[in-house]
Amino acid sequence: MDFDATDDQKVLLEASARFIQQAYPLGRVRERAYRDVACAADYRRQAGELGWFSMLVPEDLGGGNVSGNGVLDAALIGYKRGAMLQPAPFAGTNIVAYALSAAGSQEQREKVLPALMSGQASASWAISPPAGHTMESSVTAEFKGGAYRLSGCKTFVQDVDEFCWLLVAAATDDGVSQFLVPPGTPAVTVAALDSLDISRQFAEVRFEGAQLPPTALVGTAGKASGLLARQCAIAAVLTVAESVGAMDHEFEMTLQYAKDRIAFGRPIGSFQAIKHLLADMSLSLEMSKAIAVAAAKSLGTDDGYGLEAASMAKAFVGEAGVELAQNCFQIFGGIGFTWEHDQHLYLRRLTTDAALFGDPAWHRERLCQLSNL
Amino acid sequence: MSTETIDLDEFRKEVRAWLAANLKRRRSSAPQAARTETKTPEEIAESRALQRKLFDAGYAGISFPREYGGRGLSAAHERVFREESAAYVMPDFGAAGAVTFSAIARSMLAHASPSFLRRHMPKILSGEEIWCQFYSEPAAGSDLAGIRTRATRDGDRWIINGAKIWSTGAHYADFAMCLARTDWEVPKHRGLTWFAVSTKAEGLTIRPIVQIDGEAGFCQEFLDDVVVSSDEVIGEVNQGWAVAQTMLVYERGAGQVGPVVLEPRTLAPDLVALARKARRTDDSIVRQSIARAHINDYAQYHLGRRIAARLRASDQPQPAVAAYGKLASGTFSPIRARIAVEIGGPEALLWHPGDQRAMRYSINYLNGRMTSIAAGTNEMQRNGIGERVLGLPREPSFDSRRPFSEVIAKARNWDGQVG
Repeated sequence: MDFDATDDQKVLLEASARFIQQAYPLGRVRERAYRDVACAADYRRQAGELGWFSMLVPEDLGGGNVSGNGVLDAALIGYKRGAMLQPAPFAGTNIVAYALSAAGSQEQREKVLPALMSGQASASWAISPPAGHTMESSVTAEFKGGAYRLSGCKTFVQDVDEFCWLLVAAATDDGVSQFLVPPGTPAVTVAALDSLDISRQFAEVRFEGAQLPPTALVGTAGKASGLLARQCAIAAVLTVAESVGAMDHEFEMTLQYAKDRIAFGRPIGSFQAIKHLLADMSLSLEMSKAIAVAAAKSLGTDDGYGLEAASMAKAFVGEAGVELAQNCFQIFGGIGFTWEHDQHLYLRRLTTDAALFGDPAWHRERLCQLSNL
Repeated sequence: MSTETIDLDEFRKEVRAWLAANLKRRRSSAPQAARTETKTPEEIAESRALQRKLFDAGYAGISFPREYGGRGLSAAHERVFREESAAYVMPDFGAAGAVTFSAIARSMLAHASPSFLRRHMPKILSGEEIWCQFYSEPAAGSDLAGIRTRATRDGDRWIINGAKIWSTGAHYADFAMCLARTDWEVPKHRGLTWFAVSTKAEGLTIRPIVQIDGEAGFCQEFLDDVVVSSDEVIGEVNQGWAVAQTMLVYERGAGQVGPVVLEPRTLAPDLVALARKARRTDDSIVRQSIARAHINDYAQYHLGRRIAARLRASDQPQPAVAAYGKLASGTFSPIRARIAVEIGGPEALLWHPGDQRAMRYSINYLNGRMTSIAAGTNEMQRNGIGERVLGLPREPSFDSRRPFSEVIAKARNWDGQVG
């Protein structure tokens, strides 16, 4: 995805691609193998060993990246993951690790963070699609009798089970606060949902008066909005990177088909109707790669335009991904309508990616607000 | 041939000092409306004087060979000079200047004879010869190899007859690089030759074309027994297509150093200004459109960086890759121009007479399609990407294997059969 990738980045990416090929090729995606708890644990542990969940954590907390820009390194891993429609809350776990390293208590950093990075424990970010044009949370936390009582619902939580740590933002009297919710917390229920995307599992998480001690706070009460904005931007960039990986792979499949499929005595890719469509898709893919790398570089180096760049990338690639998947479907024709063919896996994934962590319209509005319009 | 070696930092220092001592600073870097550039004779004269000054100091043709009047340094030195000189008033020959110093001069370097280059190149670099392109014809644009201007050999000279069009700046250029057919009995790509034609030549009529926006930047020409001497042939006789290939690469922006463009970091300032004027900044449809335009600008800028990195990363030249930049521009410029008109409504469509700022949205709207048609249509870029980058097979060709004279005789009655 990045022509300027360093040798260290290439080593990381090659190892990641090998792991994916061995542990979870497309056949496993179809079997939805990740729903098996043992399989998920094994996958997570191996991914942790590769450093998948350590890139956004500083070295003195046991993390470390390979290029000096952890967001870019994680995005490059995301690109490899997206190409093969990998499961596991990659963006979510990285966001939780990032939040703990940026604002977590000593106890959270010492007890939870290492387990997340190694893949021994799982974590996800409990989110809903951002409502309206604000970043307000759909969960509230009331402080009473020395504890916080969380109420509300998060509806777009990825690959979560009862053994999973959850990071959740909640509206408190003094602003927005973030909490780290331990697995097995009473009055927190996880309801698995069926979804368009079959490469991942989504759930609705309900907080029905769940009690959390102040030690569950991540950072200062009421002061989470700055960190939340950054989490949202990083999650956007990692999702964009996964989308670009999926787009790239699906485009290659489609291009090959256009060269192989014969109609009217010649490969269908020789017809300008198909050729021009593929050229436009290729341009869109190149621009998507360019904007994904630009956003990861900008956000990861704190160059002053990272939040805007992340939203721009999410808006651009969200639309480009869905458009590309639709066009691939058209070029495959009838075979694309079958369960057996892989194209629908990509269509499902890319359409869901576009909605995750803010859809294109939301990010365009966010760009306006960040630009003081 | 002596070669000068000077490292980039040292060169930058030298350039900086010379610029400060010899040139005027530009007053404003405000973006201008995308009007088709046309230059008055006074402006051209000023630019010629300025170009001469650069030439005498060794800053014209920095990466051109010394024996042809250049400085013999690298493309990186050229870029340093562009970066440093961006803040100064530089020669501006309009669009004809842009093609003279890139597409024309570069393709001459690649294909013209040493004696031709010794004769013309120093004059080009010193501003004495501004060149334009006699390229397209009324009946041949995208199908450039299908041109019908005829050059007939007459001893040691050639007689040219035909018509040319879309020649930017021909009304103030000194010379034209003219493509003509020199053999009609071979397939179309194999009978083409380039000539250097003086714009003062007898039998040549140049007429400006009034364009869609009322301006005249392009011209059309009629060549009526125009005489050109044999030593003004550029490249080999009947091998003109090879020169054309080089020229198209530069024309589409590959290998061109290009102006220094900054990453767009301010939300579409022109559109925001228009939305404020129209009191529509709270309208979510308008906000979405503004964001969309800026995001496209940002993505296009980074596409350019990506193309440059891709070319750097490859050991082989990949001319077709430049088509991505051209197609992006041809795709997004018309969209952006439409967005402005949609946001502004009457504010973009009406203005008090002479209000240049207010009229630019309508002018941009009319000119927004320039990049999707000029210098290779979007469709030609798609063919280039499809065939030369993605490796898709070509459409069957009716005309590329048979003699051109036969092609034009039969084209109107084509029966749908290939070969």
